Amino acid sequence: MSAVTATFVEAANARRWRAFDWQLLLYLVLLVGFGAVMGYSANYETGSAPGGLSQTVKTLIWTSIGLTLFFVAARTDYHWLQTFATPIYLLVLGLLVATGLLGTNLFGAQMSISVAGIDFQFSEISKVLMVVVLAAFLASRRERIGRLSTIVGAGLLMALPAYLVYRQPDLGTALVFVAILLGMLFMSGAGMGWLALLGGVTLAIAPIAVGALQAYQRQRLFCFLDPAADPQGACYQVIQALNAVGSGGLLGHGLTAGRQNQLGFLPVQSTDFIFTVVAEELGFIGGMILLALFALLIWRVMQVGWGARDPFGANIAAGLGSLLLFQITVNIGMVTGIMPVTGIPLPFITYGGSSMISLLFGMGLLQSVRVHSWKPTF
Amino acid sequence: MADLDQAPDGRQPRARFIAAAAAAVLLFGILGGRLFQLQVVDSAKYAAQAVAARTVEVPIRSPRGLIFDREGRPIAVNTPSWTLYARPADLPPEKAARDAVLRRAATLTGIAAAMLQQRLATFRGSPFDLVPLASGIAREAALLIAEERAGLPGISVSAEARREYLDETGAVNGELLAHLLGYTGPVSRDELSALTPRGYLHDDVIGRDGVEASYEAELRGTYGSDLWERDANGRPIKVLERLSDPVPGKNLMLTVDARIQRIATETLKWGLEAAGVAQGVTIVMNPQTGEILAMVSLPTYDNDKFAAGISAADYAAYVSDPTKPLRNHAIADIYPPGSTFKLVTGLAALEEGVTTVSQRWPTYGCYQIPDAPAGQCLFDWNHRGFGQLSIVDAYAKSSDTFFYQMAVGLGVDRLGGWAKELGFGAKSGLRLPGEAGGTVISKAWAQAQGRPDVFTGELAMAGIGQNAIAVTPLQLLNAYAAVANGGHLMRPMIVRGETDGDGNLTRAYQPEVIRDLAASPQDLQIMRIGAREVITTGHATNIGALQVPGALSGKTGTAEFGTPTAQGVLPFHSWFVAYLPSQAGATDADLAIVTFTYSAVVRGNVSLEVVKYFFQQYFNLDQDLRREFQVNAN
Repeated sequence: MSAVTATFVEAANARRWRAFDWQLLLYLVLLVGFGAVMGYSANYETGSAPGGLSQTVKTLIWTSIGLTLFFVAARTDYHWLQTFATPIYLLVLGLLVATGLLGTNLFGAQMSISVAGIDFQFSEISKVLMVVVLAAFLASRRERIGRLSTIVGAGLLMALPAYLVYRQPDLGTALVFVAILLGMLFMSGAGMGWLALLGGVTLAIAPIAVGALQAYQRQRLFCFLDPAADPQGACYQVIQALNAVGSGGLLGHGLTAGRQNQLGFLPVQSTDFIFTVVAEELGFIGGMILLALFALLIWRVMQVGWGARDPFGANIAAGLGSLLLFQITVNIGMVTGIMPVTGIPLPFITYGGSSMISLLFGMGLLQSVRVHSWKPTF
Repeated sequence: MADLDQAPDGRQPRARFIAAAAAAVLLFGILGGRLFQLQVVDSAKYAAQAVAARTVEVPIRSPRGLIFDREGRPIAVNTPSWTLYARPADLPPEKAARDAVLRRAATLTGIAAAMLQQRLATFRGSPFDLVPLASGIAREAALLIAEERAGLPGISVSAEARREYLDETGAVNGELLAHLLGYTGPVSRDELSALTPRGYLHDDVIGRDGVEASYEAELRGTYGSDLWERDANGRPIKVLERLSDPVPGKNLMLTVDARIQRIATETLKWGLEAAGVAQGVTIVMNPQTGEILAMVSLPTYDNDKFAAGISAADYAAYVSDPTKPLRNHAIADIYPPGSTFKLVTGLAALEEGVTTVSQRWPTYGCYQIPDAPAGQCLFDWNHRGFGQLSIVDAYAKSSDTFFYQMAVGLGVDRLGGWAKELGFGAKSGLRLPGEAGGTVISKAWAQAQGRPDVFTGELAMAGIGQNAIAVTPLQLLNAYAAVANGGHLMRPMIVRGETDGDGNLTRAYQPEVIRDLAASPQDLQIMRIGAREVITTGHATNIGALQVPGALSGKTGTAEFGTPTAQGVLPFHSWFVAYLPSQAGATDADLAIVTFTYSAVVRGNVSLEVVKYFFQQYFNLDQDLRREFQVNAN
């Protein structure tokens, strides 16, 4: 390699690293750190099985893997992925079908595959990969973005993986797919009339979808309307979550001092209900700090989106933004009793390797979009 | 057509991103507002709900009060009883291993493994609850279980207090005082709803009979409680605060002397056996205070069996026994008092002026009932009659025809009124469960049978304690005590007061007067003279030869009832009631006794012989004046 070329590459690299969004990385590190601390607190007394790695150590390992993938993805030119959209789509379908066939039971649902003692929840990485697939599809439809065929095509693309996930059954993740689809269609500029129609159709068939749910899913779904309806049964979690959140007050009881948490009244406190631990132990202030971190993160994601030079990059940002916003809203809404209980994890905070690694990889893609398509305004 | 959303350089429509960002701001605002509502506005409400959901009031049991006899001997104590428990969460999860643990526990305790498994299987509750598998485990078995703890995961034994009943020697003996003490037993599911507001627990015990039942409130004390924090599985974590301290039950001292109870029991037993009689009662009382010194109802039962958890077979045997061993015949059953009732008729006749002390009345072999057809007469027990008698002689000789005339002279209202004045026809108010009120002749009694008034013959019979008169042995003794003490009808007492843990009296309950009799001291004295004459010159002179410390007075009574034997003899109840000063030189009677024996077919008065034997034992006399009983064959 000639010196001239090397200098050019270096200059190009330097330019790119100037475009690197350090704020995005900062918010991610803060969120991941926040999650690790809350995970530690949530399991403070219950502990982990003797001999096994503690949850906190596992979280740190997953975070390391995730951050590595984040930097690898950030360095890689995301355009490269566009050419692989079809294989990626087939990979997603393959992973989800495999989960259905080989999956281990988790709360009665086949949601993960166990390899060498580590559970992989492929539905998590599928969310990020489907963002890529859909971003490529919508970018290819750039000239015909306003047409109905765009919406139908995107819908069909998303329907298959969403259905596979729904069958596991994992209603929450299926809903995330739908949210990603709608968010990306909207932000990619799909026809508003057709979108409104799609929204109307979705609302119309919602009762049918609810009717098709298992009885326990349906009961849990409606607890948020009236938790007192079944305080010992399906709505137990909602009531205990409300008690925990409310008793946190302004300042909270302090880390590892939340009684509802430590006494096991929040049955899945380190996963879907982790926000109750935040609210109980760190209070309103702690909850608002976490919300603020999420708001800043989504702001950075949106920034990348509207600053992207090409539709593919913008669509990736739109998809990841939709994913984050939907999961944050539904998860916190669920534990504060204004949304149905659907089992959707809180990004970066909920304990779980698949979600952590997938999301950090997704954020790496976002960083790549910024680094590789950012045109600084002078 | 130009799309207004379209950015000029081919980039994504910026307006859509801004709209999405606005939606994000709105959603975050809703979440923040909801958090503010839950955590700042309504925080106190949710905090209170959270505390209520994770705390539980755990009762602290208070020890049941002990019971002592009047000499301070412990007669009802608390003793450890071992119960075998399983905590399902700590048992091995695999069925084979769990069954092995249960089998081992069954072997060590000598209880069928199937029963333990059944108890465990039928338990409904948290797996962290202690499931009682078997109670009343032997101490040795409990120690073995404790030693093998490591090999018996989930199995434990714990000691709980149960009642143990002792006799005058301190030995475990539930038969001596069963009717007085009663026993404790588990509360039933039916009772629980009524008892829960009073602090009873689902596995609590309650007094079932005797003093254990009637003094339940004093003996039980008041349970305290701790506020415990528990986890979501219901496992208690720590005490948050002491809500109330337990108040131990009060220790009680009975008026009963276990040694006197023993003498009364053994002497009555002798009489019943010697006469072939199944049931009998002896009550000993201090007539000055109404304190019960002994109260024996035979046959008795073993209340310690009940406290330990009686077997179904033992219980069925008690219930089906025709002599009703579970009943305290001294207070719960009523019998015709026979000639002992002449005290009432005599006192009434004096008070109402039917006769004077010196007036002499003819007596007959058979008394022609006034207003009845000629030949309808009532026999005297002495079919030849006694000739002319004054009231004292008539009482001493127990002339029936004399007292027929007194009763007819009094009329139903005055005879019945005086019977009530002396405490008949109403519960005495002794604080023991199951007391009967008895029957006293009255117009209402006749009207209840559809007649306007009693027949004159019934009235005459009532005058000698037959027919329309039925009394408990306690009522009879109490009436004699009232005459003996100068006219104070005392409320019989069973509990003397409260004690410390060693049986030293710390608070004495005061004797209580039901009423001072409306009789004149002179008339009371005439009746006392009559009762003294019974012993010295009258019907029961044989007992007068006993060298008791004070002047003995008393009265016999018999009442035929039922169906004749094969020999044509009617069985009869026999009574003997007596009182005397127990100290030499004393003039006030401080010892009164009644013995009642049920349905004898032998010659003589069984009860008189029993009382005679009692005095011989009580006063440690060298004499033995007991008579042999001979089967009566007319």
